[in-house]
Amino acid sequence: MAGKMINLILKVWRQKGPTDTGSFAEYKANNVSTDASFLEMLDVVNEELVTKGDEPIAFDHDCREGICGACGFVIDGEAHGPLKSTTVCQLHMRNFKDGEVLTIEPFRSKAFPVIKDLMVNRSALDRIITAGGYISTNTGNAVDANANLVPKADADEAMSSATCIQCGACVAACKNASAALFTSAKISHLSLLPQGQVERKDRALRMVAAMDAEGFGSCTTTGACEAACPKDISLVNISRMNREFLVANVTKQPKHQDGGAG
Amino acid sequence: MSKLDSKIPSGSIESKWQNHKFSSKLVNPANKRKHSVIVVGTGLAGASAAASLGELGYKVKAFCVHESPRRAHSVAAQGGINAAKNYQNDGDSVYRLFYDTIKGGDFRAREANVFRLAEVSANIIDQMVAQGVPFAREYGGTLANRSFGGAQVSRTFYARGQTGQQLLLGAYSGMMRQVDLGNVELRTRREMLDLVVVDGKARGVTVRNLVSGEIESYEADAVVLATGGYSNVFFLSTNAMACAVTAAWKAHKRGAYFANPCYTQIHPTCIPVHGENQSKLTLMSESLRNDGRVWVPKVQGDKRHPNEIPESERDYYLERVYPSFGNLAPRDVASRQAKYRCDEGRGVSETGRAVYLDFADSIKRLGQDKISERYGNLFQMYDKITGDDPYKMPMMIYPAPHYTMGGLWVDYNLESTIPGLFVAGEANFSDHGANRLGASALMQGLADGYFVLPSTIGNYLGGTKLEKISTTHDAFKFSADEAKSEISKLMGIKGNRTVDSFHKELGNIMWEYCGMGRNKEGLKKALELIPKVREEFWNNVRIPGDANYINTELEKAGRVADFLELGELMCQDALEREESCGGHFREEHQTADGEALRDDKNFCHVAAWEWAGTNKKQSLHKEELTFENVHLATRSYK
Amino acid sequence: MSGFLGSTVGKKYIMGITGLIWAGFVLAHMAGNLLIFVSSDAYNAYGHALTSGNLIYVAETVLVLALITHVFCAISLTKNNREAKQSRYAVSAKGQKRVSLASRTMAVQGSLILAFVILHIITFKYGTYYETTVNGVVMRDLARLMVEVFQSPAYVVWYLVCLILLGFHLTHGVGSTFQSLGLMNGSYRDGLRKLSLTYGVVVALGFIAQPLYLFIIH
Repeated sequence: MAGKMINLILKVWRQKGPTDTGSFAEYKANNVSTDASFLEMLDVVNEELVTKGDEPIAFDHDCREGICGACGFVIDGEAHGPLKSTTVCQLHMRNFKDGEVLTIEPFRSKAFPVIKDLMVNRSALDRIITAGGYISTNTGNAVDANANLVPKADADEAMSSATCIQCGACVAACKNASAALFTSAKISHLSLLPQGQVERKDRALRMVAAMDAEGFGSCTTTGACEAACPKDISLVNISRMNREFLVANVTKQPKHQDGGAG
Repeated sequence: MSKLDSKIPSGSIESKWQNHKFSSKLVNPANKRKHSVIVVGTGLAGASAAASLGELGYKVKAFCVHESPRRAHSVAAQGGINAAKNYQNDGDSVYRLFYDTIKGGDFRAREANVFRLAEVSANIIDQMVAQGVPFAREYGGTLANRSFGGAQVSRTFYARGQTGQQLLLGAYSGMMRQVDLGNVELRTRREMLDLVVVDGKARGVTVRNLVSGEIESYEADAVVLATGGYSNVFFLSTNAMACAVTAAWKAHKRGAYFANPCYTQIHPTCIPVHGENQSKLTLMSESLRNDGRVWVPKVQGDKRHPNEIPESERDYYLERVYPSFGNLAPRDVASRQAKYRCDEGRGVSETGRAVYLDFADSIKRLGQDKISERYGNLFQMYDKITGDDPYKMPMMIYPAPHYTMGGLWVDYNLESTIPGLFVAGEANFSDHGANRLGASALMQGLADGYFVLPSTIGNYLGGTKLEKISTTHDAFKFSADEAKSEISKLMGIKGNRTVDSFHKELGNIMWEYCGMGRNKEGLKKALELIPKVREEFWNNVRIPGDANYINTELEKAGRVADFLELGELMCQDALEREESCGGHFREEHQTADGEALRDDKNFCHVAAWEWAGTNKKQSLHKEELTFENVHLATRSYK
Repeated sequence: MSGFLGSTVGKKYIMGITGLIWAGFVLAHMAGNLLIFVSSDAYNAYGHALTSGNLIYVAETVLVLALITHVFCAISLTKNNREAKQSRYAVSAKGQKRVSLASRTMAVQGSLILAFVILHIITFKYGTYYETTVNGVVMRDLARLMVEVFQSPAYVVWYLVCLILLGFHLTHGVGSTFQSLGLMNGSYRDGLRKLSLTYGVVVALGFIAQPLYLFIIH
């Protein structure tokens, strides 16, 4: 893992706040170790900015292990940058060439207003989960964990959908800013498990309605979300969501004043 | 010295929790609506507490520093969660889990708490499955288990290498359901800057809205801190970037004792440091030690490629030194052994500070598919970070700060020395003694949040007379003013050094003198150095921008300021504890073969520190530990 | 049901079903057109048979309604989608995360195809009415009109462009329909992608063959 040093030119979106118009600013990132992650490269740029008395580039990040879902911006038009199945915190500089010019922008979508620079507000996704992305079971009510057997294939499939980290790259990559991949991953996860059956229809109805209400676009099956997804959530989830939604509509009238059978 | 009352219920260890719940005061359902509880932090402990308290009918105000509660660092736990289910029929029981945890903690944990933890562990699995956590399963549809360090049974439940994520999503979904139902008010991007104490009781918090920069006040009848650990005092750790001691530290300054700060866990299997600008370290799950074998070359300075070193020239040192536990020795032991090998000059990688974790044998035995099914995401992560393929060559690993067993002192009810202030999860000190076993952190966080706090907070609210107050009370104003003045002080320094440069300087001191090996001379030196760094920090840190909108440097500065105080206390505590136990290894106190040497006569106690004022030596209070069920014995994994 | 139709997912169902109706129609239309390779009489007789019953009115109504609904939903969704995205990126994706051109430009393709369909109906359905007699039956001589129309190179080129576009629209649309209708599954996903591609290519080639043939031989 012997690293070498490269130099890059960054064109970074700078925007003071939600109401500011924002524009690109150019920075040099010199002597970047190819063993460093993309965020560590930005750390170095920020340290220089701070030393000069300038404000550092704001970006969300936390675990830097690709699991918390906090980080995410667009590098040269690609959410989380060029590498598939990778968050930007796990994107290492060995994937870039010396002298490259990189354009770095925040995730763009009406539902994700920019807070500052590369930092956006993705709380719309939390609100989709709040609209039924759960199983209503109070603490203390649970039966023995092995009382309901789950076929391994179903458990594995549910797990694959449940690995979503809510980073919002699917929305960012979609030309329609659709949150279908995100919403469908949660609907799939819970509809595949026996524990999720009771509220299955309500969940599909409420979550789709919440998704639309937040101002996300619709899915036109471009597959951009799947390509950008750091956790390889499959497009098949969206198809499953559509099916769940249709079945729920056909077989049940929506009745969600009670907040998901709370 | 005041006597700390741990409020351990009477009766046999098996009956304590049941008796305690029965004798606890209850709050009737109509009155629960009138009580509010603040929960700070939304990781496993915080989210599960908020969800359960909301279900019971309390009005909960939850706060997190992140943009979404699901980003809490519990999300990063990889390997699994322990529970005494004995699904494998391999001799597990509540008592065995209790015993393993006490022993793993090197006899520095409170028996009653640990037993309760083991007792509710099985309920946690039931609860999480009911919430839709897709744990790994066998072909017959039953839950699968794997083994973890410090245990000889398979009791660890897992969801690929993302168990923490799946459990957090379970707890988070439970909490969001309560948000949906209107029982939990969630406020994100808020950082707690102070605890508000009225008439000696915790009655609220002062937080900074990280987006608007505003200082906000919130009141409640009780406050829960579930704000995680303080490994980031080392700068380089496996913790997430925002993990900080700030919330706990501010509570400490308001009167909550801080217990065993020197008990830090150095995790044996992390990806080694690559360079100067590294921001954090990445853990490779302990579960890898199920199928990976740890080794170094037999001779010093062997620079050959690992695949070219023949079997006979490799030292599988964990298997050699600990034949009965082998590669599954507990974390503190495994870390120390890695350090010894590197100190002997047999470390690998360019820096010489790494050992191999080799899967070649397992791949030969089970096939690459099986290994990939078990650890695929971890292998991929390793490959992404290092550029090396662990299917083709051994991983290189080295210990790194990972978890802190120390934390705010709490009694059996998880209540701190400030009435009404409860502390859960990694933020408290209670269950892991001087070393935490793998897959036990998730267990503890959820045990505290789901099963302990809902009962003990009810007991507190049911038995305490609380005046009605609002945030117009003077105590809130004073607290907010203090927070504001600290911020303006920081903003006003306009010095020459970045926050990170101070953090790194502190981290280096801590790692050097209060890391895997500690000694009197080093700790004394650290105690001289840290105040100097702190002084320079307060005179020379540079924070650009303003405090009245999002300012990431200001956020970091506040956290580092608290680490600069905590670091000193850690060294102080490590210096006072003239013994070695678990993660606290004093080089003066070791056996002939380099194992930790406890001093039960003088140090079988919890050291709880009381804040005495800025730049003043904190006063020490001791809670004696008694072992009535597990015999105090020298830990042996041989 | 109003909730269903008002939702983005519901609208996609409508688009999928109406799209499939048209996909089936264009395939049948294309196959019928191939009769020109047999003879003008065969072609005219086929056209006559189709239009002589009452069924044609049912079919036309279904097709027109399907088209209007498809277009209406498309406009509504596209408008919503543009609002949802607001602004685009300064640089577009070039690498592994780039998506197919067909999928990205469905709305533009659809608009052109709609214009084409309208012109096409004006040209042929409401074009010059020639008569001919096949096996003693008097009927419209559509073949003659066609030969006339496809004498103009500009017209042929316009047709080629539009028909290739139609095929392109189908390469994405057919597969995407299964996705929208909730019928996608991991195990046949790849097969469906290939089927969709084949469908679009066959329809486009089949349609193109006719004007090209008439232009070349006359």
